[in-house]
Amino acid sequence: MLGFLKQVGDYAKESFQAAKYIGQGLSVTFDHMSRRPITVHYPYEKLIPSERFRGRIHFEFDKCIACEVCVRVCPINLPVVDWDFDKTTKKKTLKHYSIDFGVCIFCGNCVEYCPTNCLSMTEEYEMATYDRHELNYDNVALGRLPYKVTQDPMVTPLRELAYLPKGVMEPHDLPPNSRRAGKLPQEILEESAGAEPKA
Amino acid sequence: MTLAEGVQLVAFGILVLMMVGSALGVVLLENIVYSAFLLGGVFISMAGMYILLNAGFVAAAQILVYVGAVNVLILFGIMLVNKRQPFAPVSQAWIGKVATGGVCAGLFSLLTASVLNTPWAISSETPIGEQAIVEIGKHFFTDYLLPFELASVLLLMALIGAIVLARREFIPDTEPGEPETEALQLPERPRELVSSTPVGDGDR
Amino acid sequence: MNQGIDLQGSFVRLLTELGLPSGAAKALWLPLPMVVILIGATVSIFVTVWLERKISAAAQQRIGPEYVGPLGTLQAAADGIKLLFKEDITPAKADPILFTLGPAIVVIPVFLSYLIVPFGQNMVITDIGVGIFLWIALSSIAPIGLLMAGYSSNNKYSLLGGLRAAAQSISYEIPMALAVLAVVLMSNSLSTIDIVNQQSGYGILGWNVWRQPAGFLIFWIAALAECERLPFDLPEAEEELVAGYQTEYTGMKFGLFYVGSYVNLVLSALIVSILYLGGWEFPVSVSWIADLIGVSETTPWFQVIAASLGIMMTLFKAYALVFLAILLRWTVPRVRIDQLLDFGWKFLLPVSLVNLLLTAGLKLAFPVAFGG
Repeated sequence: MLGFLKQVGDYAKESFQAAKYIGQGLSVTFDHMSRRPITVHYPYEKLIPSERFRGRIHFEFDKCIACEVCVRVCPINLPVVDWDFDKTTKKKTLKHYSIDFGVCIFCGNCVEYCPTNCLSMTEEYEMATYDRHELNYDNVALGRLPYKVTQDPMVTPLRELAYLPKGVMEPHDLPPNSRRAGKLPQEILEESAGAEPKA
Repeated sequence: MTLAEGVQLVAFGILVLMMVGSALGVVLLENIVYSAFLLGGVFISMAGMYILLNAGFVAAAQILVYVGAVNVLILFGIMLVNKRQPFAPVSQAWIGKVATGGVCAGLFSLLTASVLNTPWAISSETPIGEQAIVEIGKHFFTDYLLPFELASVLLLMALIGAIVLARREFIPDTEPGEPETEALQLPERPRELVSSTPVGDGDR
Repeated sequence: MNQGIDLQGSFVRLLTELGLPSGAAKALWLPLPMVVILIGATVSIFVTVWLERKISAAAQQRIGPEYVGPLGTLQAAADGIKLLFKEDITPAKADPILFTLGPAIVVIPVFLSYLIVPFGQNMVITDIGVGIFLWIALSSIAPIGLLMAGYSSNNKYSLLGGLRAAAQSISYEIPMALAVLAVVLMSNSLSTIDIVNQQSGYGILGWNVWRQPAGFLIFWIAALAECERLPFDLPEAEEELVAGYQTEYTGMKFGLFYVGSYVNLVLSALIVSILYLGGWEFPVSVSWIADLIGVSETTPWFQVIAASLGIMMTLFKAYALVFLAILLRWTVPRVRIDQLLDFGWKFLLPVSLVNLLLTAGLKLAFPVAFGG
């Protein structure tokens, strides 16, 4: 009899515990309702990509020496380098250069290894097309200047979370020259440059 | 004819059509799932008849018990045990059909005779309508006490039995002492427990 | 006991004074409450869908519908129009008759149940004697429609979803009916009007939720399961069953399921507010207010204000419960099918039986507090 009563008591206790936990969960959900939405109204507002954002690759035709390092370091040998050997100057002349962004994984190896810095990453990420063959950019398309969120009059640029002042979670309605939390890279460099001679 | 009488007549006609039509469908249709759904139609039109007879409580009980429980149970049965089997033609199946037809015709004529011979008199008492539940309750606790209590004890037993059955933990098929048969075991390499593997194997 | 305002009497008197025979006046009155409730129930879908989307968005720090109408209020209407204009596809191997009938059978009983939902002393389509029992009976028809939809789609996910839905609503019907029975035991009547009247007189303290806390919880859980709301929405569990019995449906047939589920949610919330939260009663007793401002309870203007505030009160309570349901949706994870059936049969059923017995005992012991 006592064993049965204990069983019932334990059961009741467990039920109350479960109810308590559900209540705690409900209060958490309820608390979230008083927070402001963090939605970015995408076509009208856009986040500013960070400095090291790896977007569409920019290519400068005149700098390229057709060395094909980019092809060798690419995980899938993606860039197509079309060149001719000019016997009079004993140099390669570049004819065409193309990267298919439908296949590219934006790893940035080509940018890293390019000896003449003719490849660079941009902050452009809106590359949707109706036909995947349109993603195969030739040297003209690759040489186009990248689109900048901050220069589009139709778009309200918003800072990403890491670029907001300390304690601020909301990118909307920031005062214009508000500083991000922490030190800027150049400040760290300056400090270390000032500290080094002493040591 | 007043509005109420007209509505009653039309409703009666519709209910009769529904009831007879779906009852015929239950018997005559080949597809057993259709038959089961049409059975629900029969029950619902019977509930409508009860409403026409001023018996709202019985109508609601009819819907709850027959449509909501019995019919759903039948449907569950059909849908869970729906094994398609090739129909083997039985030789001399006509005997069965003729016998069924004979029984049905006999039953029908018997019922017709009894319907025609009964002196149907419309009760002069006014229907109690809303007070029906109170009346039913009174009858349950006076002259129908024993059947009512028996039925409720039976149902309570079934309810508690269902709880007990559901609350019972896993029952092993084999007796505790008896070793497990080979046939029930999965052909799987016996795994070593984590604790039984020697420690520090990877260092060497 | 004050009888509230008699809308039917006033309407018929007005028309007979205008020269209509009283029979015609009554015939004119007949469809009015039904149409009003039907429109009200349909509008409640839009309100509930909007609330659901906005509250869900708030709980997840999103914005929710914003561009269709002010604050996105017309989003549900836009969705409905979209569903109306979509192509009505019947799958090639589906059973066309049952496929069409299924959604209708799911929706009709839900709308019929509004027959017994009172918004005031006389604000109900019919105050029939079987009252709340009719609702229990009607809600037991829905599984047939679900089974029909699941079977006729000729799709294994649909069939599994339909079977799950039917099993779920059958197993949660019993604890729900037992919880209702405990309330009925206290009010001595199945009529929803009587159930509310029995809770009146003491303001918020007279509500059944204080006398039936366990019954309230059981009923609310069972109602959530009947409406297939999270955490009990496993007939439509996307991860396992695509969309359950709705998988093959498009266009307005799918829309009917959608309508049915939202109307059912509002209906369940209304029934909970009637059974446990005192229906149209105020948190403070009406007669007390009447005494305070020094008017008789039968003064016409006071009655009109009290009745309209009573409607607001019922709706407010119902929508507070809808809010709770939406909050629960984003708090509690979905249960598994075995946990669901375990919970229904092993926990709710015994607890509701004990609750019923306890109520009967308390009624015998303290007839004053638990309805003599």
